[in-house]
Amino acid sequence: MLSIETLQEHPHFILLPKGEIDASNSVQLDESIRKLAENGAKSILVDGSAIEYISSAGLGVFMSYLEDFQEQGISLKIFSLSPRVLEVFQILGLDQLIPIFPEKEAALNAN
Amino acid sequence: MIKLPTIHIGRLSLLLSILVWLALLFVDLVRLFGVINNLNSGIAAEFTWVLEILFFLTVYFFYNYNLQKNAQNEFLNLLWRAASTGIFASAAFLVIQVFYQFLGDSKLGQEPFLRNFFYHVHFALISIFLISTTLLWKKLILYQKTKQVVQQWQTYEIGLLIAMFFVFFSQNTFGYSFIFGFVILTVLGGFLSVNLKWIPYLTFKEKWKSLLFLAIIIICSVYLFLQTNAYSSAQQTYPINLLDNLFLISLYIFILIYALFSFLVTLFNLPTSSVFEQKLTEAINFQRLSQSIQPDEDEEKVLDILMDSSMSASFADGAWLEMYQTDRDQAILQTRWIEEKEREELSKLIESNSAAQNWAKESKADLLNPLPLKISHPKFGSLLLVPLVINKSVIGRMVLCKELKDGFNKEMVSIIETFARQASISVENHRLLNQAIQNERYQEELKIAQRVQKALLPNNLDHNKDFEICAYSNAADEVGGDYYDTFQLDQHRYAIIIGDVSGKGTSAAFHMAQMKGVFQSLIQLNLSPKEFMIRSNAALSRCLERNHFITASIFIIDTLHHQVCHARAGHVPTLFYRSGNQKAEYLGIGGLGLGILRNMQYEKHVEEKEFTYHSGDILVLFTDGIVEAKNQKSQQFGFERIRALVEINYHLSPKEIQAKLIDTLHDFVGGDGLIDDDYSLLVVKFN
Repeated sequence: MLSIETLQEHPHFILLPKGEIDASNSVQLDESIRKLAENGAKSILVDGSAIEYISSAGLGVFMSYLEDFQEQGISLKIFSLSPRVLEVFQILGLDQLIPIFPEKEAALNAN
Repeated sequence: MIKLPTIHIGRLSLLLSILVWLALLFVDLVRLFGVINNLNSGIAAEFTWVLEILFFLTVYFFYNYNLQKNAQNEFLNLLWRAASTGIFASAAFLVIQVFYQFLGDSKLGQEPFLRNFFYHVHFALISIFLISTTLLWKKLILYQKTKQVVQQWQTYEIGLLIAMFFVFFSQNTFGYSFIFGFVILTVLGGFLSVNLKWIPYLTFKEKWKSLLFLAIIIICSVYLFLQTNAYSSAQQTYPINLLDNLFLISLYIFILIYALFSFLVTLFNLPTSSVFEQKLTEAINFQRLSQSIQPDEDEEKVLDILMDSSMSASFADGAWLEMYQTDRDQAILQTRWIEEKEREELSKLIESNSAAQNWAKESKADLLNPLPLKISHPKFGSLLLVPLVINKSVIGRMVLCKELKDGFNKEMVSIIETFARQASISVENHRLLNQAIQNERYQEELKIAQRVQKALLPNNLDHNKDFEICAYSNAADEVGGDYYDTFQLDQHRYAIIIGDVSGKGTSAAFHMAQMKGVFQSLIQLNLSPKEFMIRSNAALSRCLERNHFITASIFIIDTLHHQVCHARAGHVPTLFYRSGNQKAEYLGIGGLGLGILRNMQYEKHVEEKEFTYHSGDILVLFTDGIVEAKNQKSQQFGFERIRALVEINYHLSPKEIQAKLIDTLHDFVGGDGLIDDDYSLLVVKFN
C-alpha cells in the first residue's frame, strides 16, 4: 500500500510517500513527481520518514528524473530515510547522485 | 460346451407360419376328401382351430420382429407398408376371381380341392394384411405414448388373444356371446383410435401422401371384407369356416376405424399445418442458434441464422444487421432483400423518430426490448428494431422491415427477442472462448520464455580444482531478472558475475538477456573489473528503458596467484569468509548501478579492489531477493543472518552451504509464505 501526500512550503514542494514502494505502485510516485515538475516546481523534497520499503522499481523512479531535473534546474532532495531504506539507496549508489539528508532542516538549508 | 446356434426369430417364425399354413391346408383337404367320399376322416374341428391360432401367432411374431428390426419407422413409410400389403392382398384376390371367371362352368371351375386351396390362400392373405396393419397401427398409436395408452393397448391385445380362442367356445356360430365379444373389442379399438399424435408432425406434403395411403387402406380393407362375406354366404364346398372368426372380424373393424379417424383428422389438419410447421421451424432455429459456435468459426454464422430465423418468424420483407464497432462507427454486416438506397432512407427515418431516439439512449442494455415502429416510407410500413446485447452493452442491432403497417404482432416480437438473446449468448460464448484460447496461448508463450530464460543461465559453471562453485536461482514469476554467469579467461583465470535487473517479470527478463549478451561480449576483451563495468554501463545505457537499471558484481579469480579482483555496480555486497580468522564480512566497495548515469560521469562512480584468498575461504554472491525476503512479522531476512549462517557452516561444501541458506530462508519466510522477488545465490569455496 502506498499513499502520497503533497505539501507546499514555498518555494519547496514536499512529497510524503507512506508505505511500501514496489513495482505495483511505483507509477503513483512517478506521477506525483512528474506533476510537480510540470507545475513548475523548482525544489522538490521527499520526506522519506514513512517509506517502509523501496524496491528497485521505486528506486528506478528517482533515477529516471536525474538527468531531466539537472537540465531543467530542478533540485530533488530526500530526507529522513529510515536506516533500512537508506541502506538500499547506498548500496545502489544513488546517494552519490541524489542529496540525502538526515532531517528536514538540513535539506531545506542545503543548496 | 455345446454352442447353440443363434435362433433367428424372424426367419423361424416365417418358416413356422408357412409350415402351419401347409399343415392347415393338408388337414382341411383331407377332411374335404372325407366329406366328398362320405368317409369319416376322424379329424376334429378343434385340430384346425389350433392350427389357425398357431398361424395367427406366428404371423404376429414375424411382423412384430420385422417392425422392431426396421428402425426406419417414418410415419409415411409405415402407412405405405400397410397400403402395399392391402394392395397386394386385393390384387391376389382379383386375380383369383378373374381366373374363375375365365374357367366359367368348366370342370376345373367346379373342382372343390382347387377352390379350397384358394380359400386357404385368401385366408392367409387376409390374416397377414390384418395382423401386419394392426401392428403398424400399434406403432402409430404408441407414438409419444403415455402409461395409460400402453395399458389400453395391452388390454386390447389380451382381448384379441381371447378372441382367437373364442372359436372353441362358440363353435363357429353367431350368437349373443359373439356379438358381446365383438362389441367389447370394437369399443376398445375405438378408444385406442383417438391416439393420433403423429399427424401434426407431418408436413403439408406428407399429409397429402398419407391421405392417399389411408384411402387405399380403407378401400382395400372394405373390399377384402366384402369378399370374406361372399365366401361366408357361399359355403357349400368348404368343410370348415376359417374366416368367420371373432379375431379377424374385430381386426377388420379396428383397422377400418383407425384408418377412417386418421383420414379425417389428417384432412382437417391440413389448413393449420402451416402454423405447426412454422412453430417447428422456430424451435429448430432456436436450437441451431443455441449451439455454440466452434472457435475457428466466425460469429457471422450465428448472425446469419439469427437473420434467417427472425425473418421467417415475422414474415419480414427485408432486413439488415449492423454492429457497432466503436462510437458511432457502424458496420453493416448483412442485408436481406433490401436495396442500399432504401436502407439509407430507412436509417434516416429511424434517426428522426423520437421513440427510436429514446430507445437508442436507453442506458440499461438489459432492459432493452425490440421496438416496433410505424414509418411513412413509399415501400415499407413498419419496422422492428432488435438490440443485440452482450455483457450488458449493446453491440449492434437488427432491423426488420415489412411492407404492411403494424406488421409485427406481440408473438412475433417475443419470439424474435428470444432469438436475438440466444444469438447474443452464442456470440458472447464464442468471444469468451476465443479469449480463453488466447490466454492459453499466452501461458504457452510464457512457458517457452521460461524455458529460454533457464537456458540463459549456465548449466556448467567454469572452474578448476582450485575452487568449487555452485549456484541457485528462483524467479518470482514465470521469468525473472536475476543473472549469473562464468567465463574462463585463460588457464588460471575465471570471471564470475552476478546481476539483478530492476523490477521483475517479463521486462526484467528481457533486460537480463541483454545483460548476458553484454557480459559474454565484453568479457572476451580481457578487461579489468572496473573497465568491464564502465563499458557495460555504456552499452546498457543505450538499451535499457529510462527507469530501469541493472546491478552487478564481477569477480576475476586468478588461481595461480590466489588473487581475486572485483568491482561492484550497485549490487548487494558480497560476503567473504576468511578461514584465517574464521570471520565473514561484506566486501566494502563503492559502485553505482548500471544504467543510472548514462554518460561519461559513470567512471567516477565505480571502483576496483583486489585481495588474496587462502584455502578454505568462501565467497557468497547473492541478489537482494534474499536480503529483502520478509517473514510474517514483516522482518527482513537481512545481511546478518546470511553472515552468521556462513560462519557456522564454513566447513561444509558449497552445495551444502547453499542448501543451508535456502532452507533457512524458507523456514524464515514461513510455510506458505512466498518470496515475491527473484532471488539467486552463488557460493564459491577455495581449496
